[in-house]
Amino acid sequence: MVGSSSLLSKLTRYTVLSLILGVMIFPMLWMFRVSLMPAGSISGIASLSNLTITFVNFADLFATGNMLRPLINSVLIGVVVTLGNIFFCFMVAYSLARFRTRLNKILIASVLLVVMIPAHVIIIPLYILCVEAGIYDTYWALILPWLVNPIGIFLVKQYIESVPPSLEEAARIDGASELSIIFRIVMPVCKPALAVLAIQVFFTNWNSFLFPYILTLSDSLRTLPVALALFQGHQAVDWQHLMAGSSLAVLPVLALFLFLQRHIVSGITAGAIKQ
Amino acid sequence: MSRRIAFISLALFLMASTAIGQTKVTWWQFWTDPNIRPTIQAIVDEFEKQNPDIEVELTDLTWSNGHEKIVIAFSTGRGPDVVELGSDWIAQFAESGHLADLGEFVSSDSADFQGWGMATYNEKIYARPWFLGTRVMYVNRTLLTRAGYDNDFVPYTLDHFKEVAYKIDSLSNKIYGFGSNTAEKHRLYKKFLPFFWSMDAQLFTDDGKYCIISSVQAVDALIYYKELHDSTGYVGTQRQIEDAFLDGKIGFVQSGDWLLKRIELEKRNIDFVITNVPGLKYPGYSFKGGEFLAVNANSENKVAAKKLIRFITSPENQIKFCKANYSANPSSKEAQKDPYFAENENLQAFIRQIRLAVHPPVDPDWVHIENIIEEAIEDALFGQGLPATALRDAQIKITNLKKK
Amino acid sequence: MKQSRKTALLLASPWILTFLIFWAIPLVHSLIIGFTDYQLLKGSEWIGLANYKELLSDQSFLDSLSNTFIFVLGTIPVTTIISLGLALLVNRNFKGRALFRSAYFLPSITSMVVIALIFANLYERGGYVATLAAMIGFTPPEHGFLFDSSTALYSIMAMDVWMSVGYYMLIFLAGLKAIPDELYEAAEIAGASRIRQFFSITLPLLQPVALFILVINSIKSFQVFIEIFVMTSGKFETSTIVYFIYETGLRTDFRLGYASAAAYLLFLIIGGFSLIQFALMRRKQPLW
Repeated sequence: MVGSSSLLSKLTRYTVLSLILGVMIFPMLWMFRVSLMPAGSISGIASLSNLTITFVNFADLFATGNMLRPLINSVLIGVVVTLGNIFFCFMVAYSLARFRTRLNKILIASVLLVVMIPAHVIIIPLYILCVEAGIYDTYWALILPWLVNPIGIFLVKQYIESVPPSLEEAARIDGASELSIIFRIVMPVCKPALAVLAIQVFFTNWNSFLFPYILTLSDSLRTLPVALALFQGHQAVDWQHLMAGSSLAVLPVLALFLFLQRHIVSGITAGAIKQ
Repeated sequence: MSRRIAFISLALFLMASTAIGQTKVTWWQFWTDPNIRPTIQAIVDEFEKQNPDIEVELTDLTWSNGHEKIVIAFSTGRGPDVVELGSDWIAQFAESGHLADLGEFVSSDSADFQGWGMATYNEKIYARPWFLGTRVMYVNRTLLTRAGYDNDFVPYTLDHFKEVAYKIDSLSNKIYGFGSNTAEKHRLYKKFLPFFWSMDAQLFTDDGKYCIISSVQAVDALIYYKELHDSTGYVGTQRQIEDAFLDGKIGFVQSGDWLLKRIELEKRNIDFVITNVPGLKYPGYSFKGGEFLAVNANSENKVAAKKLIRFITSPENQIKFCKANYSANPSSKEAQKDPYFAENENLQAFIRQIRLAVHPPVDPDWVHIENIIEEAIEDALFGQGLPATALRDAQIKITNLKKK
Repeated sequence: MKQSRKTALLLASPWILTFLIFWAIPLVHSLIIGFTDYQLLKGSEWIGLANYKELLSDQSFLDSLSNTFIFVLGTIPVTTIISLGLALLVNRNFKGRALFRSAYFLPSITSMVVIALIFANLYERGGYVATLAAMIGFTPPEHGFLFDSSTALYSIMAMDVWMSVGYYMLIFLAGLKAIPDELYEAAEIAGASRIRQFFSITLPLLQPVALFILVINSIKSFQVFIEIFVMTSGKFETSTIVYFIYETGLRTDFRLGYASAAAYLLFLIIGGFSLIQFALMRRKQPLW
């Protein structure tokens, strides 16, 4: 290990790492760059030399209301679905972790089954179901089917199993009711797992496209990804506005990611190690 | 006693309110553009004023979701009384029995309107034409001059057209002769068919029984179109092509009246002229479509619905609408004579073209036939297929489809 | 005891309802309507296996099927290898490691729609990728990468690899962390080279993680849809099975029965693939 050779290997490593870094973040930077460009044609590398910056594209999006409603919808649905998942996944996970009934065994199998089912298999029947139940093209179609997700149940169940049952027994001796034990004592203990769950659910929901797209029709119900995908289909939408809309969809995720990185990473690796 | 009085007065009140009570007509329409929506609303307001017993409930549809919304509404029995339909949807809804037969209703004044062919399925009329639409050729005059042609020259025949397109294309690397649509669903075939028809090819025999899409004329048309596409084509989506045309990069593009509207609204500085599409003889045949108004077969307010349709499609209201929307092709013949159209050379080109425009067959299976035609064109333009084989395959597929 | 069973049931009820209403019933329902000619506006009749027979002779379905297989078989090995490489690269301790990890991971948490839109722009005629390609002496397709049958699908696949390597890198990293350091120390003492260590310790012990990645990646990749919808609308030989289901079931003429049959075929394919992979996972001796 001579100094110069280790310096050299360090240098190569950082060069390689930075090159990859460039490839990985360039498209995102390009999106932001285009979103701040004034109207006119953009073409490849040539337009990089143009340093003008304008926020007019964003202003337009809000002025025409094209993106405001979808933004509100995405936030609203994201929050409701995330809260629902925190609450319901916890309930179900507690039941599966703490009670050993025969039904629970079947339920665990059903959770596993749904984890393995490719979700797109049910688009047609889910569509029919929503049409016939009259929730097609309403907020319900974007919320009800997604309030409990099987991976979330697993995540929380795993966590509850690591919590010693003595915790509840102590409370039981104190005479607390079963439900208050579950929600007042066990739930707060599970905060770390619920945080990971919340982030995952919110991200998935925020980015989800196919189901929100096929289960709604009205422009007033569009979520951000759906509005963006359909935006380009309309006439006279230029890249600047499209990229401004895209930036709107990315910025909240980016901000959350920077703050909550550790939880996100641990959520993903937790899921992986289970296997 | 007092209870009885209350009961009677309630009953009286209910009877009275149904007597005065209005007929409610629901109308689903597609004009959501803030420039036009007020005109629609104004027409409806005027109608309600003239017919105090009828109340109109407007629902806006958009082109991205409208068709699906109508399909779902009809199949779950929640359709509107009056619905605006694109011409290529009429056969589908007529066949499934969701549209009322309007034959008797329109017989009195059908001679005053154009476009009945697109509303007729199995010899019954299912909708009333509102606006027609066709595509004409937009020509960039600056490029024409640069290529060495007189300022008021326009190409008339197909041979001539190709020659000029080549010349314009060779002006520079960044200049193209012809705006050629990429594989865009519902768009590509509409751009090819004018050349196809103008070269005397037909989709079906006159009796509609046999598909003849791989005739000699048809193959020639596809070869012609492919050469134009390969050698002089700026290939893109309709929007990209129109953008490039407005930026002065393309000599010829096929487009509808919406491009005229865009040029005016955006105050684009471009020296252009509109001509009819080129043909073996000038002018050639273009593609024809349109907006129609139909009545739900299960509507309980058919009389009021028809009244509303008649009002919306009256010549005065068509002119009002065309002015707001820069539309070029009202279905009413009387409306076409208005000075608004007569004094505008560009709009005249559209009115001339619609008389020489062909519409695809009114067939519930048209979506599939369209798809097959589009695949053949795609195969020839973008894939490995030769024009002759691509069209022959299409002919076999369409024939098989019709057999079913 | 009875009380606790009631509580268990009450607590589990959200899942029971969701499972029954939104999964079990739709799954059975779609199996049933797969045997009918159910179509909106037209009604439905039992037609047995006719849908499945028609699918197997429907050229556009077969094309979608083969495009999907090209997509799956093309992206998965490349994604797996690159993400393993990235994991090895950022597994060591060095300054700024966290920054690189996060940056590599960033695309995987971004909306697919947004990424597809950005790449649609980058792949355009005269766009970024075309300029780069021209620089290294490769003639880009005249009308842009997505408007050409010979490049469209591969361009989308490349984007997909780019997008997902960071995610699988993280999973590989977790797997690497689980390998005890003592093994490497012992190998070091025995005089094994770095390369030797990689092949006889790292790779064999990563096998379960790699198989797990294969399973989730193939379940995901078989369902590829959004990028196709946004970038090419299934044109230029890019239609996939889910795109086909969408197109026939929910766009062209609402043939819900036919589309359900296609969805079930997809289900069977993915199921078969997963079973094979599970079988591999259960094997005691390593594959390599």
